[in-house]
Amino acid sequence: MDFLGLFPTWYEAGLGSGWVVGIIATVHVLFSHTAVGAALFFGYLATVAYRNDRPELLDYIRRYGLFLLVFSYVLGSITGPGIWYSTTVASPRGISALIHNFVWGWSAEWVFFVIEVVGVYSMVYLVGKVDGRTYMKISWIFGGASLTTMLIIVGILSFMMWPGTEGYMQEGGYLYGYYGANQFAQLAMRVAFMFTMNAVVGGIVVSGMKTDALKREMARKLAVLGLVSAAAGFALLNWYMATLPPYAATMVQTRLPERFGPSMLITLGLTAGYFLLTLIRPRVLVPGLAGSMTVVLLVFGLWPEETARESLRKPYVAGQYVYSNQVIARDVPGMGISSELPMLEAHGLLATHAFLPDELRQVTPGNAAQVGEAIALSMCANCHSLSDTGMRPIRDYYGDVTDVAAIRDYSKAAMATGATMYMPAIPLKDIEWEALAVFLASLEDETVPAQYAAEKRAEGRKLAQKEGD
Amino acid sequence: MEGAILEGLRDPAGLPFYPQVFLALSVLTFALHIFAVQLMLGASGLTIWGAMSTNPHMRRLGLSMLNVAKISVSVAIVLGVAPLLFVQVIYDPFWYTANVLSARYVIGFIVVLIAAYLAMYFYYFRNYHADPAAPRKSAWSMIASILLMLAVGSIMHVLSREMLFPEEWKAWYAPGGQIDPSGANFRAFSPFRFGFFIAMAVPVAGAWLVAFRSYFATRGDVGGDYLDFVGGLGRRMAAVGTALALALGAGWMLSLPEKAAGFAGSPFVWIAALGLLAAGLFASVDRARDNTWALMAPVVFVVASLLTATGREALRFAILKGQHGYDIATYKVNLDVYSTALFFGTFAIVGGLVLSFLLGVLWNAGRTQGVYTPGPVLSRLGTAAIWSIGLWVIQFFAFGFTVWAQ
Repeated sequence: MDFLGLFPTWYEAGLGSGWVVGIIATVHVLFSHTAVGAALFFGYLATVAYRNDRPELLDYIRRYGLFLLVFSYVLGSITGPGIWYSTTVASPRGISALIHNFVWGWSAEWVFFVIEVVGVYSMVYLVGKVDGRTYMKISWIFGGASLTTMLIIVGILSFMMWPGTEGYMQEGGYLYGYYGANQFAQLAMRVAFMFTMNAVVGGIVVSGMKTDALKREMARKLAVLGLVSAAAGFALLNWYMATLPPYAATMVQTRLPERFGPSMLITLGLTAGYFLLTLIRPRVLVPGLAGSMTVVLLVFGLWPEETARESLRKPYVAGQYVYSNQVIARDVPGMGISSELPMLEAHGLLATHAFLPDELRQVTPGNAAQVGEAIALSMCANCHSLSDTGMRPIRDYYGDVTDVAAIRDYSKAAMATGATMYMPAIPLKDIEWEALAVFLASLEDETVPAQYAAEKRAEGRKLAQKEGD
Repeated sequence: MEGAILEGLRDPAGLPFYPQVFLALSVLTFALHIFAVQLMLGASGLTIWGAMSTNPHMRRLGLSMLNVAKISVSVAIVLGVAPLLFVQVIYDPFWYTANVLSARYVIGFIVVLIAAYLAMYFYYFRNYHADPAAPRKSAWSMIASILLMLAVGSIMHVLSREMLFPEEWKAWYAPGGQIDPSGANFRAFSPFRFGFFIAMAVPVAGAWLVAFRSYFATRGDVGGDYLDFVGGLGRRMAAVGTALALALGAGWMLSLPEKAAGFAGSPFVWIAALGLLAAGLFASVDRARDNTWALMAPVVFVVASLLTATGREALRFAILKGQHGYDIATYKVNLDVYSTALFFGTFAIVGGLVLSFLLGVLWNAGRTQGVYTPGPVLSRLGTAAIWSIGLWVIQFFAFGFTVWAQ
């Protein structure tokens, strides 16, 4: 008997594993995008400082660089691998698909990470210790290396939504999986927004400056950068949306929370208002205002955007072939990848999940709820919390129904063949659907498993009696 | 678990190049990473020692080592990304299972590492403007930092060890047949193995001090007495630390699990032990203050680290192949020429040019009083480094637009 390539499941009852990943990813976007925007901004400032003999600009670079060391190179550099770690435990086959398709791209990015780290310390500690021309060169190396990290990662993120081109499915390979319209649109949008984030976070450093003239100049430069990049970013968001797969457009209309649109508009309005205010009256830029704007960007801009991106790719987590429940859902001939759905349909989950304890491989009246929970952990918990809290609690989808047969039939009809657009196909055996139904009913009424066991035993006795007669 | 089931957990996309190459890169980058970790721990220890000491030289050294520790954390994190990547590529069945089984600690790793690094920065911001000979403020934060760093290290240690026990995984996931998905496992801790890698912080930091003395000998503004104090301390740390590490390493080998007990007599073990001994002896030699051989002391320890990393990998290979039938050589290869060339080109050309330039400038600027201006060779190297990044960006868009246009 072959096994599916499924790993054990980690389930965090309070938040749900998906939210843990989402929180880490969202804060990392803020830290990392700010770092890339700032690195390029440093290149511009160092060039102006060198060409126009304005060493005071280097003081701003040093201050902002020191701030970045903590903001982006402590918090950002840890939350970066943190995304790996959290996705590893929440969605091992999802991250594995990305890594095995793009390991060399990630390795190339790592070279640029090393350059970035050496670069940022050089930027901070070599101010005034090397000549202006050399410092300018270092600043462009730092900016260039930072930009390339963005160039590389966006293609991998895009693959989470779908492969770059159709050619990937037939021929496989890095180039077809990586490059495509969605990747370039997302890249353009992220580059614009990274300058916006740099302009907001850079304001925190400006707000602490004491020199009036330089403070005014830097506040205005950042305001102009922020206004232009935010406007460009929102325009590019439309391009990005136009490059999404057709089903994603339906998902946008039907599955995104109602607050998504207003949240984006509020963020745009607040961002524009903030930059206009600091452009006209730089003096109002105080740490509280800049810090608050950073939080607004994080909570009302990045969090909805990242969660929307996560929702839109459902039921897949990577490359349109790995389901969110970790099952390989389609053939990718170019890579020699075969769908696991036929095996699941033929043998069921209980016989093909290598990590299930032997006690749970057969459904009995006494263990149905336990087996159902094991199935729910493996097939559902990646997207649905099994408790009352966390991400999309599964009991919310069944109202207060506790009828095992009704839940079984409804679930099977909705999911066995993949008839529900954003849900994976889950071709379980009938007895597995029933066990799952017992567990789901038990979330509403704890007595259901005992009632179910009693009914089944009674049925068994009747059957035995009939056979005896 | 049988080898066939383990191999069934491999990623179906396969590898874009031969698994042996990923194995070699994994060993190389782990060696560099663990060296940076050990330097960070050693430098942190010296920082705390400096904070507690009344000796003005020690206080001054403690402040210098704070910078070394701070930068080493960054370097250790960024260098750690590579072995983390490569272990997932060839040992994915083992790495992912161990991580999921200990998920709570994996998530905790992120939080604790952030806390550890912020505690170090807190100490830095409390003291970096201080008189080098004055008492330090908030030494508790530096102590907290190193303790948290050790906690972080113990998590990585446990994940690496849990990989090696596939026969226990089902029992850990479902003790008594009841699935426990909380990821609360913290198993397979080996005090000697963990102690060995931590103890290496002492000789590594000692070797760093030996080089420190020689590096600053050219600077007239750094006192000779201070440098001699630092060099003497470094030599003692290298000697004592090497002996300590060798003793713990012997304990590690003697406490190997039964299924790997025979590995203790392997040539990998003896070569690593001799390499470490040679590095310790090299760093312990008393040399003149400006002797440039002393600058090689950390490099020699990097080589020793490479030998240790090779031995560690050989042990893992022996357990997983010998006892569980998992052979990395049978991993499916979907050869990908473009991305393979992309990495090696980036690594050798861009990485080589840029890091040579940056490290060259940093090295010379550190040894120069006042403003440093590079000579024509280094300056041209800087220009070439910028061009190499520019050309990299051009190839990115050239390939990208070509594929997109198709």
